[in-house]
Amino acid sequence: MTDHLAPLNLEELAPEKPPSGPVLWIKENLASTWISAILSILAIALTAFSFRGAVQWLFAADRRWDAVIANMKLLAVQSYPEAQMMRVWVSVGIVFVLIAAILAWNRIGGKIAPRKLSKVLLTIGITLLLVGLLMPAGSEKWETLGNSLLWKIGGVLLLGIGVALTFLPDERRKAETIPIMGLVAVALFGIIGFLKTATMAFPIAGATLPEDPAERLFEPTRIADSTANPWTAIILAAMVTFVVMSWLRSRSSGDGASIKRVIISLIVASFPVIFLVILRDPAIDEDMLVKFVVTGAVFAILGAVAVRWFGAPGAGESRRALASIVTVLAFIMLTFPGILPIPGAVTPFTEPFLFRLLFLTFALFSLAAPTFGGAGSALTRYVIGWVGTAVVITYTIIIVTTESTVVVPGNFFIGGLGITFLLSITAISLSFPLGVLLALGRTSSMPLFRMMSTAYIELVRGVPLITWLIVAFVMLPVTLPPGIELSGIMRALIFMTLFSAAYLAENVRGGLQSIGKGQAEAAQALGLSTLQMTVFITLPQALRAVIPALVGQVIAIFKDTSLVTIVGLFDFLHIARAAINQQSRPYNFIGVFLEPLLFAAAVYWIFTFTVSRMSLRLEKKLGVGER
Amino acid sequence: MLKWLAQVGVLALVLLFFRILGGEAAKNFARSDISFGFDWLGDPPGFSIREGIDLQPNSGIRALAVGGLNTLRVAFSGIIAATILGTIIGVARLSKNFIVNKLAGFYIETIRNVPLLLQMFFWQVLLMAQSSLTEGDVGSRIFSVSNKGVASIWVFPSTGFWPWFLIFLGGVYLSRKVARKRRTYQEDTGENGHPGLFGILTLLGIALVGWLVHPLLGFLSILWDGIGDLIGAIPAATVSLLIAGAAIVAAVVWIKRFLDSKRTPAGLGKLTDDDIFRMIFAGVSALFVVWIAFKVGGAVIAKPDGTDASVAAVLRDSFANIFYWFGDKFTGEAGSPLSVSKPAIELRGTGGFVQYADTGILATVPFFSVWIAVTLYTASFIAEIIRGGILAVAKGQTEASQALGLRRGQYLRLVILPQAFRIILPPLGNQYLNLAKNTSLGTAVAFGEIVAVGATLINQTGQSLPIVIVWMAFYLILSLSLSGVVNYYNRRMALVER
Amino acid sequence: MSVANNKDVIVCEGVKKWFGDFQALKGIDAVVKEQEVVVVIGPSGSGKSTFIRCINRLEAHQEGTIIVDGIELTNDVRNIDKIRSEVGMVFQQFNLFPHLTILDNISLAPLWVRKQPRREAEEEAMALLERVGIPEQADKFPGQLSGGQQQRVAIARALAMKPKIMLFDEPTSALDPEMIKEVLDVMKELARSGMTMIVVTHEMGFAREVADRVLFFDYGLVVEEGTPAHFFDNPQHDRTKLFLSQIL
Ligand SMILES: Nc1ncnc2c1ncn2[C@@H]1O[C@H](COP(=O)(O)OP(=O)(O)OP(=O)(O)O)[C@@H](O)[C@H]1O
Ligand SMILES: [Mg+2]
Repeated sequence: MTDHLAPLNLEELAPEKPPSGPVLWIKENLASTWISAILSILAIALTAFSFRGAVQWLFAADRRWDAVIANMKLLAVQSYPEAQMMRVWVSVGIVFVLIAAILAWNRIGGKIAPRKLSKVLLTIGITLLLVGLLMPAGSEKWETLGNSLLWKIGGVLLLGIGVALTFLPDERRKAETIPIMGLVAVALFGIIGFLKTATMAFPIAGATLPEDPAERLFEPTRIADSTANPWTAIILAAMVTFVVMSWLRSRSSGDGASIKRVIISLIVASFPVIFLVILRDPAIDEDMLVKFVVTGAVFAILGAVAVRWFGAPGAGESRRALASIVTVLAFIMLTFPGILPIPGAVTPFTEPFLFRLLFLTFALFSLAAPTFGGAGSALTRYVIGWVGTAVVITYTIIIVTTESTVVVPGNFFIGGLGITFLLSITAISLSFPLGVLLALGRTSSMPLFRMMSTAYIELVRGVPLITWLIVAFVMLPVTLPPGIELSGIMRALIFMTLFSAAYLAENVRGGLQSIGKGQAEAAQALGLSTLQMTVFITLPQALRAVIPALVGQVIAIFKDTSLVTIVGLFDFLHIARAAINQQSRPYNFIGVFLEPLLFAAAVYWIFTFTVSRMSLRLEKKLGVGER
Repeated sequence: MLKWLAQVGVLALVLLFFRILGGEAAKNFARSDISFGFDWLGDPPGFSIREGIDLQPNSGIRALAVGGLNTLRVAFSGIIAATILGTIIGVARLSKNFIVNKLAGFYIETIRNVPLLLQMFFWQVLLMAQSSLTEGDVGSRIFSVSNKGVASIWVFPSTGFWPWFLIFLGGVYLSRKVARKRRTYQEDTGENGHPGLFGILTLLGIALVGWLVHPLLGFLSILWDGIGDLIGAIPAATVSLLIAGAAIVAAVVWIKRFLDSKRTPAGLGKLTDDDIFRMIFAGVSALFVVWIAFKVGGAVIAKPDGTDASVAAVLRDSFANIFYWFGDKFTGEAGSPLSVSKPAIELRGTGGFVQYADTGILATVPFFSVWIAVTLYTASFIAEIIRGGILAVAKGQTEASQALGLRRGQYLRLVILPQAFRIILPPLGNQYLNLAKNTSLGTAVAFGEIVAVGATLINQTGQSLPIVIVWMAFYLILSLSLSGVVNYYNRRMALVER
Repeated sequence: MSVANNKDVIVCEGVKKWFGDFQALKGIDAVVKEQEVVVVIGPSGSGKSTFIRCINRLEAHQEGTIIVDGIELTNDVRNIDKIRSEVGMVFQQFNLFPHLTILDNISLAPLWVRKQPRREAEEEAMALLERVGIPEQADKFPGQLSGGQQQRVAIARALAMKPKIMLFDEPTSALDPEMIKEVLDVMKELARSGMTMIVVTHEMGFAREVADRVLFFDYGLVVEEGTPAHFFDNPQHDRTKLFLSQIL
């Protein structure tokens, strides 16, 4: 009784298009029920009203954006010497190039379909057009940016492209063919080119340009060459890097993990280099240098022999015990210089602090040698690792202890956004190892370690950051032994690091606890020691599992650096809030509060938003949270 | 063995580290003639606070109390507002309505990516830029915004509020009884018993009757005073004994319950050292309370008139005072228990100082900036938590409810929310805690909360360490009580699993 | 027992359904008669679940008509409510409410939708638990039950609304083999009692034994339909032959 039989070639059944159209879309997305329809109307009214208000406010002639524009340098680096600005540009350039490299190597960006692009273009186009239409009278003051005609033209242009894309044949519209990074490049140059031609082609009617070149500084669209040229160079360099790296990547076989590791290490290393070397420009004194180099070299060479001896296969427990004693001695020597004097302090070639630091590092390396050294080539690599560490430490200490050539009024060579980044990057990188240690301590089976970690974490998290900063500025100075003085930046840095370590520790602990017992059992079955198991098996997995939480923590620290303005550091927020509105010469910005604050908000937003979006992508890519 | 050596070694090093820092600090303080202690708690602080229950506190502890109350006030109102706003936005973020959904997303992404401190400054600047009050503004308003703050009409308790409130509480009890009766009726007969309607009507009726008859309760004043006298007459030593006894009993009961919970049919389960630590901790806390009950007094809260200032006595007296206070409120006077008060703008002094009068409710610029900033900021996080919680309830739950014919409101209430709440609660508690801690940024906009007051005290007295300890104690108690509430609900809602 | 002359309770004509641009149903025509047991089989992704979910409007179809018990499914909320209380559904993943006891799971809908008195609802719930063979589990929570027990509770929960039609979406595929039988037994008993049923399943034995008719789905279409005997022993369509050769 088969009463139904479909056509035989089912695969070739012509696909039908779903019912669609604007009316249906509105019905489904804006007015699926009566309540929804009313809500839509209210929401649209609210949006339209606020949008109009925002445009009118932002472009009004009596805004004081000039306070922001004239103070760009102050906001970015405070009073970094004009003559040495090149150092800042080079730093920014390095960061951009490295980011471009990692993006290209990871094939981030990918491609999008014309359909999606068309949606984006339509949205931006409509926004631009609306801005143009709603521009308040008097906006001409802001020249090109305040020229409503240009906004309208730009909007119509994008709308046109967006609409044109919808006429592509269906399958081409849905195919992901357009490289995102290419789009970014086109957009960047498109905007610059558009503005350049626009300023030439449309001499603004009715706008009287001030004759005095000093006042022209305020003209927002005429960015000074001293800014425009470096940026052009940086963007070009980043693009070239991107293209070259993409090309290399497309030709390379394999997963490219080693190159990726190299780029990431470069990025990590670039921050200390930028802050300590490029921006600070230490003026190295040759007499000092000899001391440092001799100390460092002696340690590196003798230490290498000793580490090898400690890590030699079959070394036995006695050497380990010896290493433990050495570690304790080294620790006491470093933290309490008064108790254990350095034996070699008498020689004119010894630098005491470096000596103590290297001694402790050496002791730790010896202690861990049997665990990580292993035999043969592994041990050799370990010893090379020690030499490298010694060199890096020596170099860092040399750099840090020499005076900077960058002389600025006030006590620190950089301020503004520079400090904000310095604080957040350093606090994050330093608190990371500390946080991991604390997390391991809190989950460890050794009760005293667990108690200490728990006490630390809970104590630190118990009170707000601001109280710790106040402690840093009120109590820390009196507790330091005479002779050690910490600048405000250092104090803020230490306490931000200690603070964020406690929070990081809790995140990492979450990851550690999410790892099943099976892993540990498998590792033990392989005969790994507890320490080896933690370092090689548990920790990597735990960290991978908590990447989103860690990124969240990074964002939180970045936002939290703004608190240092309360204890009087000249960070980005401080300049936007309290410095600009104090200026009365050469321009009178007294009482200008809102514009710099909004600008600062926008800058913070751009960074945090970008990072959080990237972490979302990363999360998807890694499939974190999915099983 | 080696493990223990390592642990003890590290602990010793840490202790040594702090010992050295402390020694150095002691030397420095000795040099500048400061010694740490808690004497400053009783000394006049020598500064005034711009808002709070007491603008000219006469002792350090009172100043800190004013600051602490300001923190609690802004934190509490912020928590309520942020919860409401966050829930609305979180639900909007789940809406199928395109625009509502996108607007909620826009809100979340804008607010949570800008530092809170900056937002606080923004609101402060915005309010300061409002027009100032002039003589032309004098008069009463419903709502008023100026560079002095935000003032609004408000309802305050007035004469006869407490007698009426007592009746009202009785009404709440009764109305719940009535509602339950109606529900049983409905369940038994299947007819709609309108339990909600009946309950509300009962409550309204009793509240209304109470409004008229509350003066009749005036006689209770004698009762309250009597109880106050009774409590006041207890000797301090007895109070100390009672407190100590209660602490010990509590600790013993807790330890017993704890051991019981570890007991398996096969006998006592294995105790980890965590468990042992916990029990030791409970015991030590009890001993600590005992010590406080008997020993602490005099020096800390010295009373000038020489009355007994031991903890026990102070506790007893404040307890008695509560009842005296109630006694004062039960006057038997007729009058409306609640009064609506409108903000008024008045001319103060001869110089023509235009200000808000003490009527209505006034959020000063610092208060308002802190409150609105922490509310909006926290709401953006709460919204994400709510959204996540609802999404985490499996989609199948909604489908199963729909397939059974439950309406949207019904399945949200009966199926989705009870499950989502469980997921939402712990992170929500965390956000509340963050909010409370974030109010400390108010110190940057001159809001007199506990950190700001403490920082001023440090400047005045140099007593940094004791004040840091006070801060820690304050936030510790705050977070313990919050997490206590959260844990309580969490345990009540735990799912039974196989 | 023939159902051929019974009246039609479900009539689908040209039902089409898209997810975004993807067309999951390409025009389904199907009729289910009263007391009939229809088994739906087909490869994964062929639209079986989508089809039965359209019948109680857990998914909204975009074109065509679906008429259940004389009521057409449209956006009208009243019709949807009415149909949902007449059509019971059992899911692959059970979807019991984990925060309610078994008894409350079953009596929830009668209490709130049918507005039954609680005592009555609970008595009926107990009777249903009796019927599916697990009355002793009434006060436990779903998390404490085995998969087979949970699925039987889910069936009881759907039956508590006294539906005219029962939909089953692969009720046994999340179960271990020894639990499958206990669930299938309940379903067979239900079929024998005269319930109208649409069952998506890969249990061919069940289809052969219980089904009045088999629908074979592929590519969002009913490729072939017929009595079990006809379908399993003498399939007409190449797709059907291929499918059967793979699974049997
Ligand atoms: N909510 C949805 N969104 C997008 N696509 C969907 C959705 N639900 C189902 N589909 C798609 O529709 C098609 C039919 O799905 P359906 O669940 O009906 O298949 P099925 O026959 O039940 O398969 P299975 O035997 O695996 O359960 C599949 O290709 C599926 O990917
Ligand atoms: Mg399916």
